[in-house]
This record gives sequence, structure tokens and C-alpha cells, in this order.
Amino acid sequence: MELLDRYLQAVRKHLPWERQDDIIAELRANLEAQLEDKEAELGRPLTAGEAEEWLKQIGPPMQVAARYYPQQYLIGPAVFPTYWFVLRLAVFWVMVAYSIGVAVQIAVRSPSWASVFEGVLRVPEVLLTTAASVTLIFAAIEFMATRYPGRWPALAAPSGDWTPSALPLVEKAAAPGQKPRSYAYAVAELIFGCLFLMWLLLVPHYPYLLLGPGAAYLHGSPFQLAPVLVQFYWWVVGLNVLQLGWRVADLLRGRWQGPPLVQRKTVQALGLIPLLLLFTVRDHAWIVLRHPALDQARYGGAVEAINKAIYLGASILCALAVLQLLWEMARMGLNVYRKRAAAMR
Amino acid sequence: MTITENLFENLRLELRRGCLTLAVLAQLRQEHYGYTLRKALAKRGLEIDESTLYPLLRRLEAQGLLTSEWREEDKRNKRFYRLSGDGERIFAQLLGEWQAINAAIHLTIDNIQ
Repeated sequence: MELLDRYLQAVRKHLPWERQDDIIAELRANLEAQLEDKEAELGRPLTAGEAEEWLKQIGPPMQVAARYYPQQYLIGPAVFPTYWFVLRLAVFWVMVAYSIGVAVQIAVRSPSWASVFEGVLRVPEVLLTTAASVTLIFAAIEFMATRYPGRWPALAAPSGDWTPSALPLVEKAAAPGQKPRSYAYAVAELIFGCLFLMWLLLVPHYPYLLLGPGAAYLHGSPFQLAPVLVQFYWWVVGLNVLQLGWRVADLLRGRWQGPPLVQRKTVQALGLIPLLLLFTVRDHAWIVLRHPALDQARYGGAVEAINKAIYLGASILCALAVLQLLWEMARMGLNVYRKRAAAMR
Repeated sequence: MTITENLFENLRLELRRGCLTLAVLAQLRQEHYGYTLRKALAKRGLEIDESTLYPLLRRLEAQGLLTSEWREEDKRNKRFYRLSGDGERIFAQLLGEWQAINAAIHLTIDNIQ
């Protein structure tokens, strides 16, 4: 039967070369016997359509051939738990080291948005390189453990050399943000939030509240704040009002128990806007001279140094805020995914 | 295929895998070649795909549980398999294990009902 020959030829192409003849001879004998039975049952040879249907039932040639291979893993079930643990650890610590390295580099060299952007852009490359390196090492371990099980027994299976008493103590406290909040706690948060907002609104009228006795020097000082800082201030006020409003709504709806994650993340994300607003100022001039024509020669250098220091601080703060927000969003996403996966089980 | 159907299919395959090995070992206390073995199992209600059974025979032989020989029958060369000495010992142990599991499951089901 020509169709059977074509089928066996296609299977052969995907078989391990050293066993091709043997396997095909056996498969041919079995399939021909089956074909004979079928034809004897029908009392006639199979039609082309019936033959095609029969071979389709046996399966695609590549899939049939694949069954003759031993099960192969890049990283097998015995090594996988250790691999997964090390991979998570490596990715976490490499990201910590990378973030610190980039922050120091930006601070030491010329701080600019371009270098922050460049640092963020390189994150996927760093992550992929780390994951690939760990995977390669564990693939090599798997290979050695499979190839030389006697010589590398410790690699093939987790060590039996452990004692239950060496396990870490039970974590008594729940993770912050996971504990249910009491009504008193939620009310106290609201009261302190209102007090902070009042203080914030009074500061422009009574600088003493922020600067203490130093406020006396402010009137005679040759410096003043640039208008963008006023906008920044009102953004901060607005965010506090938003947060307070949200808390009041939560209390009224009786939803103070849960951790205010969405609220916190929204305020955190909106908090980036005033920070970014600061960077739109030309030459990063946040502190300016009250009388530039008179004081430029005397205080020009000091103003520049102050603005440079503020720019450096704001850059680091902004980078940290972005990283923290991304990290927490990723954790939130992971928690949602876990809950959904648990609900589906 | 829905998620539930897919889950059932995976669990069914997992459950069948070990049972098929046991059935093949049981049937090969008597000599068979691939196709007659498949027919004999099907006759007892255990249908196995060709693409599952023939590679399984090779694996069991590589593990030393079966022996095989090429022989001519009905003017056609066929590979006949039967249980090896090791195969017989392991089959007896597996059978004991399977019977214990089977009895325990029956007891558990009866207790719940």
C-alpha cells in the first residue's frame, strides 16, 4: 500500500537515526497486520479515503516518532525547585545591585533624565542575561546529573541532609498592609491627615511652621522660590485632599478594614506628576534671585549650586519613586494573578 | 475543549499511564507481537493507541522488563515480546501495590457512600 509506505517514510525521518530501521520494520509489521485484519473484515481492500482516515487515526508522523524518544528536559523535576528558587533570588539581588549601581553612576556623573532613561531601558537586558545565565548553569547541572547519576548523586535529588529544627521560626506578624485595619486606626489616619493638610495650608502664611526661627531670615534673603514651586505646592495640597476624600468615602461606605492599596498606588502614581513638573523648569532654576540685576555677581554661584543640589536630590527621589511604584504594581499584579489562579483550582 | 474538560483529560491520562504499564506486563506473561498485544488488550476492554503502545514496549524492553526476538510468522518478520525474569518480579510487586491501592480506594468510596 503506497500510502502506508509514504506514512512510514515520514515517520522514519523523525526517528533517532540509530534505531530507524528497527523501529520502522516493527511498525510496518504491526500496521500491515492491522491492515490485513481490516481488509479481511471488510472483504475488500481499503479505499483511498478509508486508508487516509486509518492513518490519520494513528497520528501525525512527527508525533508518532516523538514517542520513541526518551522524555527530555532542559531542567528536570528533581532540579527544577532549586532552579526556580535560585532564579528568583538571582533576579532580585541583581536588580537591587543594578539599581544601586545606576543610582550611584547617575549621581557621580552628570545627573540627567537621559541617563535615568538609559538605566531603565537596560533593565530587560539585565534581567534576561541573569535568567539566561542561571538557566544555562542549571541545564548543565541537569545534564551532568542525568548523564552521570552515580558520580553526581547530590545534583539529581535534593539533599536529605536537613533537620526540621533548623527551619526558620514561624512568622508571627502578618505582612504590613495585609492586617485588617480597625475603625479607630482608620479614624486616626483621617484626623492626622486633616491636621497635616491644615499645617500644609498654613505654611505659606506662617513660614515659621516649616523653617522655625530660620523664617526670620527669609524676608531679608536675596533668594526666592520660582513660580513652579508654587504649582508643586498646590499639587501636593491637591493630592492630600484627594487622599482625605478617599478615606472619608471609605469610612462612610464601611470599607476601612482592607488595606487601602488602590488608594495608595493612585496617590503614588499621581505624586509623580508634581515631581515631573519640577523638571520642566528651564535650567532647573527652582531658587531664583529676588533682584537678579543687583545680586547676580554676588549670589549667582550660590543659586546655581543650590539648584544643582536640588536637581540631584529630585532626580534620585524621582527614580526611586518610579522604581518603587513599578515594583509594587508588579506585586499587586502577581497577587491578583495568584488569587485568580487559586479561585480556578 | 473547556478548562474542566482539559483538566479531566490530563488527570485521566495520568491515571491511565501507570495502569497501562501494568496491563501490558500482565498480558506479556504470554508472548505477543505489537498488534496482537493491542488486540488482546482491546478485547479485555483496554484500548491503547498504536503510538502509545509500540514505544511503550521499546521502553519496557530498554528497562529490562521485557525480552524480544524477531521471528517469521505468516511470511512476515515480527518482533515478539514477553516478560523477562526481572519483569516477572517487578510485575508481581506492582500487582501487589495496585491491588492494595484498589482495595483502599474501594474502602474509601464505600465509607463515603
